[in-house]
Amino acid sequence: MILVACATLLIGILIYVFYPQRKAEEQTQKTRLEFLRERKDSIYENLRDLNFEYRAGKYPEEDYLAQRAGMENEAAQIVAEIEFLESNFHAA
Amino acid sequence: MAAFGSFAILLGLVLCAYNLVTGVIALRQIAVHPERSAAPERLAESARRAGIGSFVALTAAAFALVYCAFTNDFSVSYILHHSNRALPWPYKFAALWSGQEGSLLLWAWLLAAYGFVLRVRHKVDVKLTAYASTILAGIQVFFTLLLVFAAPPFAMVQGAVPADGFGLNPLLQYPEMVIHPPMLYLGYVGFSVPFAFALGALMMRYPGEKWIHITRRWTMVTWLFLTCGIFLGAHWAYSVLGWGGYWGWDPVENASLMPWLTGTAFLHSVMMQEKRGMMKAWNVWLIFTTFMLSILGTLLTRSGLVSSVHAFAESSIGSWFWTFLVIVLSICLFTYLRQRDHLQSEHKIESLVSRESSFLFNNLVLLAACFTILWGTLFPIISEYIEGSKVTVGPPFYNRVAVPIGVFLLFLTGIGPVLAWRSTSFKSVRRNFVWPSIAGVATAIVLMAAGMRPWRDIGTLYSLITFSLAALVTTAIASEFWRGARVIQRHTGRNMLFSMVQLTRRNTRRYGGYLVHIGVVIVFIGLAGSAFNQSQEQEMGFHDSMTIGPYRLVCQSYTQDSNANYDSEYELLNVYKNGKFLLQMAPERRFYHASEQTETMVADHSTLQRDLYVVYEGRNPDTNQPIIKAFINPLVAWIWIGVLVMAFGTLLALVPNMSAEQAARTRKSAAGTQENIPLAAGVGE
Repeated sequence: MILVACATLLIGILIYVFYPQRKAEEQTQKTRLEFLRERKDSIYENLRDLNFEYRAGKYPEEDYLAQRAGMENEAAQIVAEIEFLESNFHAA
Repeated sequence: MAAFGSFAILLGLVLCAYNLVTGVIALRQIAVHPERSAAPERLAESARRAGIGSFVALTAAAFALVYCAFTNDFSVSYILHHSNRALPWPYKFAALWSGQEGSLLLWAWLLAAYGFVLRVRHKVDVKLTAYASTILAGIQVFFTLLLVFAAPPFAMVQGAVPADGFGLNPLLQYPEMVIHPPMLYLGYVGFSVPFAFALGALMMRYPGEKWIHITRRWTMVTWLFLTCGIFLGAHWAYSVLGWGGYWGWDPVENASLMPWLTGTAFLHSVMMQEKRGMMKAWNVWLIFTTFMLSILGTLLTRSGLVSSVHAFAESSIGSWFWTFLVIVLSICLFTYLRQRDHLQSEHKIESLVSRESSFLFNNLVLLAACFTILWGTLFPIISEYIEGSKVTVGPPFYNRVAVPIGVFLLFLTGIGPVLAWRSTSFKSVRRNFVWPSIAGVATAIVLMAAGMRPWRDIGTLYSLITFSLAALVTTAIASEFWRGARVIQRHTGRNMLFSMVQLTRRNTRRYGGYLVHIGVVIVFIGLAGSAFNQSQEQEMGFHDSMTIGPYRLVCQSYTQDSNANYDSEYELLNVYKNGKFLLQMAPERRFYHASEQTETMVADHSTLQRDLYVVYEGRNPDTNQPIIKAFINPLVAWIWIGVLVMAFGTLLALVPNMSAEQAARTRKSAAGTQENIPLAAGVGE
């Protein structure tokens, strides 16, 4: 009985591990463009948080404007690099 | 069944080793030859499947051990030493983690279970998950090697098999012990996953912070399990050990607290990386340290390296763990030194008064607490190594350092959320701190007017500061909810409660986090109550009475009882408060037949104001009269309530945010209008 249980466990797992794969998932390297898009989303989220907190009355206007300008500059740089990489990609 | 269990463990080891070796080969081939054929990817896939198979094999092994416990198979040495026929069935199940071999099997099984989920969800990022899976397989190999060579759970008894087992340690025969160790282990083991992702991301120079997004829920769930495990342990110590306290700075308690402290620091500082691309190297080392402290915690609990009321095993597995820790540290250090240029921060801290600074302070304080506890815990080992004699560090050392650190952390809990990212102006500070400060100062004045005298002793001073800070933090967090909800209320026209629920649903992580902070505040209130503990001990025969605090205890009877598992002695005490009968309590002392050990069953009457905690100490050998020790422990119930709030807040933070579309639909239906309100950009949907 124990022998049967051991054999069943062994054979079942071996079949699962070594059963031929028609198509294995491809391991792709993340590109700079994907990274920049993630970063852009993150900055936009920060901007949304800032806008909401300003509306909630948490920050005075001058603080809000200064922070917003900083984030918008950062976002602009990233968007510019995204556009540059995308145009290069399409050109290629 | 024991043979089946042994075979399953061996199979688990082979599968983990296969996952590790083929995983490394496949990743290496893919990295070196990017223009590869499909062969390395197929190899990686079979490695992943072997990892999944290891979970099946170790599940079979765990099942086999539980089966042996339930069928009283005393030919298995582990079952003989940790179970007996009269043991109630829940404790037979708990036998799986009552001893060293079983608990290491539990560790390996939980690790395989976490690995199973990770490997099944590999499509989230195939390459990163392949790295994490291979690293996890390396950890699995270590634990299955332990099970095969150092601590085999299915070792057979030599010679004649006894008719009954030696029983479970009586201290473990308590309902919480059925869930406390698995919770703690889920916490310890769970940190392996963010560790594997962090190390994998560093090895492959993973661009961006997506690995943090992937592991965020893992880390929070793990942190929740560890939190619950620690407090269940504290509650068990309070209910079973009978010394009147819940935390004694025992080495094993410390061992669980250390990864919790660094894990908490990681949960906070990782936000800086997500939001601003800062503190990358710091975060990587925080999670490396947390994982290594989890391994150290298991080592301290299981090796008998330090004496503890929570350590139920002594063995020679210490050298295995130390070797593993050295290997892990070497791999982490090597990878960090090779890839450290990948961890450059994108920004620097711009102002001392900012959210970033408050996170940094929070991290430094948590690490200071961790280092203090680590030093105190390892001091006996270090002193023995240097001087030849063990010098133990007691609670006064920890209290002297940990209490002010805890109070400062409580303060940071309040100020962090109201500071802005980048920098906060004086005007902003004034705007956000007026009401919390007023609440804090008013609380201090009211408490002193009510009779608290902070100049009398340091304990009262710390309590007063804690209560004041609790008011400050609560007001600061309440104002965050209030302000956010008011914005939603303006746009939807619905009541405040609806607006608060909407607010929370739109950013569950932030507002769930605030609820966790409220839970922390409640726990601190409970801890502050310990400054006013009282205790009294006396012989109590028939109709003798004892007065403690507002209670009068009168002995009604004392007697003995017996069943198949244990003999017991207990006393029935009528409790009166302000002259009126309140309840009857029955503190008890048990003698377990199988293990020939005694255990205290505390009688506890718990209210929000205080606990009346009564212990049956035994009988005076001269007079044969029972000795009763009673404690008044103020505010203890707040600790357990606080933990529930922390757990609720964490669960809330795990819920995905309401999507922008859902939010817009809810607003429209609430306002009865098609107006497009620009609030969709708010609250970080």
